[in-house]
Amino acid sequence: MTEALAAFLEATVRTATPLALAALGESVTERAGVINIGLEGAIMAGAFGALVGAGVAGGAAGAGLGFVVGALAGLAASALFALFAVGLRADQIITGTAVTLASLGLTGTLYRSIYGETGASLATPTTAPLAVPGLSALPVVGRALFAQPPATYALYLLVPALAWWTFRTHAGLALRAVGERPDAAAAAGIRPRRVQLAATLFGGALGGLAGATLVLAQAGTFAEGMSAGRGFIAIAVVVLGRWHPVGVAAAALLFGAASALQYLFQAMGWRLPYQLFLALPYLLTLVVLASVSARAAAPAALGKRDA
Amino acid sequence: MRTCTFSTGAWRRLSPLVHIVALAACAGGETKAGAGATGGEPAFRVALLTPGPISDQSWNAGAYNGLKAIRDSLGAQISHIQTKTPAEFEENFRQYGAQGYTLVFGHGFEFQDAALRVAPSHPKTVYVTTSGNTTGANVAGMTFAFEEASYLAGMLAGRMTKTGVVGSIGGTELPPVRASFAAFEAGAKATNPTVRVLTSYVGNWDDVSAGKEQALAQIGQGADVVFQNADAAGLGIFQAARERGIYAFGANSDQNGVAPDVVLGSVVIDLPRAFMAVAREVKAGTFTPRVVDLGMKSGVVQLVLNPRLADRVPAATRAALDSARVAIEAGTLKPLGDAPGWAETTKANP
Repeated sequence: MTEALAAFLEATVRTATPLALAALGESVTERAGVINIGLEGAIMAGAFGALVGAGVAGGAAGAGLGFVVGALAGLAASALFALFAVGLRADQIITGTAVTLASLGLTGTLYRSIYGETGASLATPTTAPLAVPGLSALPVVGRALFAQPPATYALYLLVPALAWWTFRTHAGLALRAVGERPDAAAAAGIRPRRVQLAATLFGGALGGLAGATLVLAQAGTFAEGMSAGRGFIAIAVVVLGRWHPVGVAAAALLFGAASALQYLFQAMGWRLPYQLFLALPYLLTLVVLASVSARAAAPAALGKRDA
Repeated sequence: MRTCTFSTGAWRRLSPLVHIVALAACAGGETKAGAGATGGEPAFRVALLTPGPISDQSWNAGAYNGLKAIRDSLGAQISHIQTKTPAEFEENFRQYGAQGYTLVFGHGFEFQDAALRVAPSHPKTVYVTTSGNTTGANVAGMTFAFEEASYLAGMLAGRMTKTGVVGSIGGTELPPVRASFAAFEAGAKATNPTVRVLTSYVGNWDDVSAGKEQALAQIGQGADVVFQNADAAGLGIFQAARERGIYAFGANSDQNGVAPDVVLGSVVIDLPRAFMAVAREVKAGTFTPRVVDLGMKSGVVQLVLNPRLADRVPAATRAALDSARVAIEAGTLKPLGDAPGWAETTKANP
């Protein structure tokens, strides 16, 4: 039983890792008053960038380069979004949708033109889980928390760092000010658009890292549309986590747990329609959203065009 | 590709960026002209609609290879488009009909309703749905007895498992997939009566990470042979098999080379052969709309063992597989027992 529990927790953290990366980035973007629906596109761009980057160098260095190129590709996708949504004040939802569609189409087209019709196979190097000596031997939670790929460990640093930065630094205050009252922030000498641009690019880079994680820490290959809606789930995770880094990480874990439970239930052969299990993570998200949204805490200027 | 079909109303409301995007996305839908027609003879033009990317090394890749075979052997002009939603199925069927294509393949069970709706408006075009079992004046189906070779894969899985647990993982629960898994289970129980068979569905055909997690969960329950039929998501299942050192079976195309160290064999539909058979008849004008049933006997469906792992399969097991194959081809062994196949049970469609 403890073995099954340990395996469930491992799957939870694995599934939560790319979601948490993408959602943390999006939470920063949204703190600046910008909602980037193009996050899904940034994840796809990151996944494809990671594949190309890892393929160029090969081996362990390839995986490292893959993460860098993945982040840059995600950043590029969000730069396209920022050009229209922040620079030209186009509608954020429509622009984001367009970026997602563009990224899905472009990555698929580029994938075929570079890798041919047979695809990349499973030749992409993956970053194997690194077991932390001692800690990974802890009962039940040891392997779930301390025998994971490096991308998961990056989150252990990123979450507290972001929490500190957002609430304890001047730059963090400026970010939140822009998201709440851009006019007041401007009066205080902050340049709202510049802050929004930076926040959007940061969110895109983290979305790219999420896509790179899918390729380099999990799949070991690329497939068209492999992001499979994670960008949209990450946006829900941000709301669920109340735009707070710690809350967002916890919400990603909750979603990861619901997914892992779904995998486990199916594998255990429970004779129920599998669609019920597949719906579990989404149902859970709905329930939690409905129960916590009573106190709305969204940045006041979120999604507004004339910031 | 998937975004080429904006309605004009929505089109006008969208920002200029969307136009750029749609163009970029549409640029992916390739149209490759082949050797083409000669003289005044009307060209033989063949189109293919796939439900997913042709780079999946599985179901969709096989269909595209079939399309290319038709171009190369029959001199057809070919066109392929990737579709996602039923609305797109219908729209693209109409487009090809209006452009005077001779033969249009809808690659999957899910294309049937759209084909039946569109076909009466374009009587000169023959619509064929793969895995389809409905017919009309110019609508035909091709069904593959995928379960026949799935049964053989199950027999092999039952012999190769050391834990007594084997798994099957599909993309979504389409009737042919369900029948194939039932046959896999029956085959496994034929060689190993106490075997436990797990079945999971990813819920889509693209999510490689989720495919891998489904496989890891089955491995956690003891599975040491997993049969996957999940297209691109199946790549994640192979990846899990590689990492945990268990065996896997491929599906649709010959996937033995995708993960040569762990894939015992592939349940293959020789789609190029099936596509060519239909296209030849259509070109010659001898095609009559019907459901073309193709199974192991025709050579279109088969279990292709991975030569790299051939020495792991005991000779007695091989012999058992061979005699089962002969019995299935002769019709004396029915993989699904006396239960009707999925094609019969779903023939309620008009």
